[in-house]
Parts: sequence; C-alpha cells; structure tokens
Amino acid sequence: MTQPKTAVIRSDLDIVIARTMARDAAKALGFGAIDQARIATAVSELARNIFLYAGTGNVSVKEIERSGRKGIEIVCEDQGPGIANVDLVMQDGYSTSRGMGMGLPGAKRLMDEFNIRSQEGVGTTITCRKWRG
Amino acid sequence: MDSLRIPILKIGDILIASIQVALHDASAVQFKDDLLQKIHDTRAKGVIVDLTALDVVDSFIGRLIADIAAMAGLMGTRVVLTGLQPAVAITLVELGLELPRVLTALNLEKGLSMMQRLTEESGDDAA
Repeated sequence: MTQPKTAVIRSDLDIVIARTMARDAAKALGFGAIDQARIATAVSELARNIFLYAGTGNVSVKEIERSGRKGIEIVCEDQGPGIANVDLVMQDGYSTSRGMGMGLPGAKRLMDEFNIRSQEGVGTTITCRKWRG
Repeated sequence: MDSLRIPILKIGDILIASIQVALHDASAVQFKDDLLQKIHDTRAKGVIVDLTALDVVDSFIGRLIADIAAMAGLMGTRVVLTGLQPAVAITLVELGLELPRVLTALNLEKGLSMMQRLTEESGDDAA
C-alpha cells in the first residue's frame, strides 16, 4: 500500500511535481507504462487548470479498491472562482483566453471516472479515478 | 526565474535540440524563444527536436511544439519531431492533440535522413 500524497500547486514548477508524484504512485500501484503516462498527463492538465484559473490549490493521489479491483484516485481542489457552467467547459474546444480548450475533456478521456463539483466564488473539486486493468 | 535552457546544437544547416528533462511551462516557452532566435541567427534550413527522453507531453507542451513548427515554417525552416514514446503518442491522440501538421520520424537517425532529403529538395527549388 502506498501512502496518500498531496502536492500544493503554486507555480508552473508545481505542475511538474504533481504529475511526477502521480506517475510514481501509479507505478507503485502496478499500472503499466501507458496508463502511467495517461495518469501523469491528466494530472498535468488538471494541475495547470488550478494554476491558471485559481492560482493555488492541491492535488492528492491515493490508492483505492472496489470489488477487489485496485485503482488510483486523484483529487484536485481549489478555492478559485469556480466554474459557472460545467457542461460548457467539458466541451472539446471550449476555452477561455488562456486555456487550450482541451484540459478538462482531455483529462476525462485519459481517466476512467471523472467528476467535477464546482461552485462560483467557492471553488472547484475534481475527482477522477483510473482502475488497474 | 531560473528557467533551465535546452541546448541547441548546430550541425551544418541543421539545428538539433534534444529535450532531456521534464519541461515546466516557463522553460518550454524559453525553449521556443531560444530556438526561433537560433534559427534566425544561424539561418538553419531545418530543426530536429528530439523528445526521446520525455515520458509526458501534455496539451501545453504539445501545443507549444505545434506552434514552434508553425513559426519555424513561417521563417522558412522545417521542423521534424523525433523519438516520441508509444505512451506519449497514445496520450497525445487521446487528449485530442494529433499534431497533424508536424513532421515526425521514429528516431533521431531517421529524422536526420528525412531532414537531409527535405533540405536538399528545398535547395534544388531555390537553385
């Protein structure tokens, strides 16, 4: 069992730290090279979103288990401005000026489960999971 | 900001940059600026960017690479991307970033011979 880990996002350097943390955790949990890359890339997208839109936040990773199946859960939390229209930001190609319009829907495609809770003026929590094949 | 610089080597008319470390956003942008300046200074006909050592290419870096290829193209210089790992190719396509207009080769060696062909062709055109 690997211990849950958290990375604080304050700068673009922390994006690299968060995705390296996620990759190491995925590797320790027995994910293959391609899933490690998917997980690390998804964390990179989500951590960048925190940095661009909220300024600061946390990314944490932990091992999960359901019906005997093991996986990894990633939780990204910020107390930023929140997302007014979650359906809109999940559309491919949608972006405000600084993003690529690819971060959230792209991260969702790379993971197995993806959930956003967001409230304007309060913040955003994204929880995503990937199960080991 | 102590952004680390990616060395850009010149061999004949070709520039070669091998990215060996995980790039954070500022160092990636620095690399783009350095590379375009070096193209201008050396009048290079082609650039090879080798990504063999990168195990993650997210949408920011992917987009930046596409931008570099487009900007170098405007300056009359070809860019060939080499050494993308299988996991990186898979995640880029799943992300939705297929880099359709970027030339690629399996490895640095194949990239060099591709570049030699391309620059010879463009040399003939100019003559």
